[in-house]
Amino acid sequence: MNLKRWLTAAAVATSAALTAAPAAAQPTELHFWMGLTGANGEMLMRFGEEFNRAQTDFRVVVSFKGQYPEQRAAAVAAYRAGNPPHILQMFDAGSGDMMAAREAIIPVSEVFRRAGLQFNPADFIAPARGYYSLPNGDLLSMPFNVSTAVLFFNRDAFRRAGLDPDRPPRTWPELVTAARQIRATNAAPCGYTTTWLAWVQLEQFASRHNIAFGTRNNGREGLDARLTVADNPLIVRQVQTLVDMQRDNSFQYGGRSNDAAALFISGQCAMMTQSSGGLAAITQGARFEFGTAQLPYWPDVQGAPFATTIGGASLWVFNAPNRTERENRGIAAFLNFMRSDRVMTEWARTTGFLPATNSSFRAMQQEGFFQRNPGRDVPILSLIEARQGENTNGYRFGRWTEIRDVYHEEVERALQGRQSAADAMRNFERRGNALLRAFERSVAPRQ
Amino acid sequence: MQRKVVFPHRLLPYLLLAPQMAVTLVFFFWPGGQALYMSLLLQDAFGHTVIFVGLENFRALFADPAYLAAIWRTLYFSLAVTVLAMVPALLFAVMADRVIRGSTVYTTAMLIPYAIAPAVAGVLWLFMFNPAVGVIAWWMRALGIDWNPVLDGSDAMWLVILASAWKQIAYNFLFFLAGLQSIPRSLLEAAAIDGAGPMRRFWTVVFPLLSPTTFFLLVVNLVYAFFDTFGVIAAVTQGGPAGATQTLVYKVYQDGIQNLDLGSSAAQSVILMAIVIVLTMLQFRFVERRVHYH
Repeated sequence: MNLKRWLTAAAVATSAALTAAPAAAQPTELHFWMGLTGANGEMLMRFGEEFNRAQTDFRVVVSFKGQYPEQRAAAVAAYRAGNPPHILQMFDAGSGDMMAAREAIIPVSEVFRRAGLQFNPADFIAPARGYYSLPNGDLLSMPFNVSTAVLFFNRDAFRRAGLDPDRPPRTWPELVTAARQIRATNAAPCGYTTTWLAWVQLEQFASRHNIAFGTRNNGREGLDARLTVADNPLIVRQVQTLVDMQRDNSFQYGGRSNDAAALFISGQCAMMTQSSGGLAAITQGARFEFGTAQLPYWPDVQGAPFATTIGGASLWVFNAPNRTERENRGIAAFLNFMRSDRVMTEWARTTGFLPATNSSFRAMQQEGFFQRNPGRDVPILSLIEARQGENTNGYRFGRWTEIRDVYHEEVERALQGRQSAADAMRNFERRGNALLRAFERSVAPRQ
Repeated sequence: MQRKVVFPHRLLPYLLLAPQMAVTLVFFFWPGGQALYMSLLLQDAFGHTVIFVGLENFRALFADPAYLAAIWRTLYFSLAVTVLAMVPALLFAVMADRVIRGSTVYTTAMLIPYAIAPAVAGVLWLFMFNPAVGVIAWWMRALGIDWNPVLDGSDAMWLVILASAWKQIAYNFLFFLAGLQSIPRSLLEAAAIDGAGPMRRFWTVVFPLLSPTTFFLLVVNLVYAFFDTFGVIAAVTQGGPAGATQTLVYKVYQDGIQNLDLGSSAAQSVILMAIVIVLTMLQFRFVERRVHYH
């Protein structure tokens, strides 16, 4: 009896203590979905933890829901269920789809405005700003991991071929000659390869020569934009060049996305056009001395070389009916943290991605990072120091992942010898335009 | 005489079935119904605009030469995978059946591929045959064979056929072995006494008696080739190059998840389901007649 009363008293006391415990509010949870793997993904997670440690109001949960396409599908499904993540890292090609779904997202400028925090789009480097901005200057999403296309080359293979390892090819004719010489001297089994076929050979290529590959300012001004590649002799010429180079293995096709990197890192191909973000893998895996150069251009194009355009991803904020003002403040605080010089410089220093803000770029210059690491400034210089033009601001097309795949398919067929380069671009234009019209139809009623 | 099970309580059988029915309803009928409904709509990815378009998605698919090519390609792929998965399995089962010593070792070794997930099997073959870093690709180059699944469509197709069939051989082997072991020895001995050689014995006695197993495996393998090979293709070729390995099930994934074209993807899954139902019905109607059940 005594024991029973004692136990009851103890139980009551404990429960009272627990309920009366810290009256401090629970930190608001914010979900950030990112699509990077390996060391880059781990770094993003660390940034999240750092933010959480620095304050107690909010807690950011960084999750990996699959690579960009799978993550996007998961985010769309979550949005339809009424519970999307707060922040989503969306790749460049998905921007057109996101922008057309205006109710689904809150422009980043608006997020900061509602939270009462200062946000100036001019802080970001011009190409990134131009890519993601609205006509009134507001930014739709916040550029974070920005990359551009560069040329990596194998210095040891250059020496073996009798080429100057400190003078990489600057133009496409120079690259073709170098690749042929590498094959002729057998300095490497293959002269040149490329990753991200459509991104490099169409999008970056067009920017480098300041040509448009679609009407309406590359789709930025209207949903009724059309692709215009079939009548563009330069774009056809580029595909034809690859087809010709393949004959003596001066060019070897390595796949649509990142797979060709293995051809360069293993030493099989002596040159590779790749995203600057691929630097980390090369540094880790290459057993030879390599160098970085800007993306080649055709010298007969007036004014070339122009600036390359950006790739990578940006951070989008989702809209949901149950979003509170408090959550909005947390999102703004986290984004503010992510765009701070400290985070941006650490990110740019470690990965091959570029400093997305002007201040972080200047900070890296001042601390001598680019002097200590020659070649690391090549990508950002090709973005901001090269000449800007009307067509160096990227594009804005819906269903662009699908349209890129159509480009891949048609070029692959040309490389297989089943059709000419001109036919490939004609088919690409036809099929791509059909998809753009379908996209226009599926979103038009609301525009 | 069939023994009927008698339940003490009238509702008990329904209650025992209820969990399974719930799972089937939630994970099969509900998504199936949604797919049927979505196939009649044209919508943007986020669901803001939903337009009812009737059978337009289906009409567009059948007018698309790429889709019709995918249908033929899938039939070719499934036939190749089924034949390559069943014939070696039967051969191995017959050989394993004759082994007296150490048969467990052989059987276990033969079964291991079945335990591997399709995507893992795909990656395994991808690494062996990758033109840049693959061991077997290296040997093939040394032998002078021009092997490049990254650019050559038929190389890529053979790679995924082999990877898919390899995985399924283990499953078929198990069933064939069990089927073989249920054949009465007396029949084979009688045939041998009558002067039938091993080949004659196999084709006139063993194979007909194996026909229930063979028929069952035929149905299962075709369904496997239509659906479960998705993991292999996604891991190895992603439908490329130039769509050479784009089977119907992979196209559903590409259009639905990667390209977010939900209406077309839903229509494709409805068509895929119809094709497999028809194939299975055909098999039951025409092939089952020739099966000897005993």
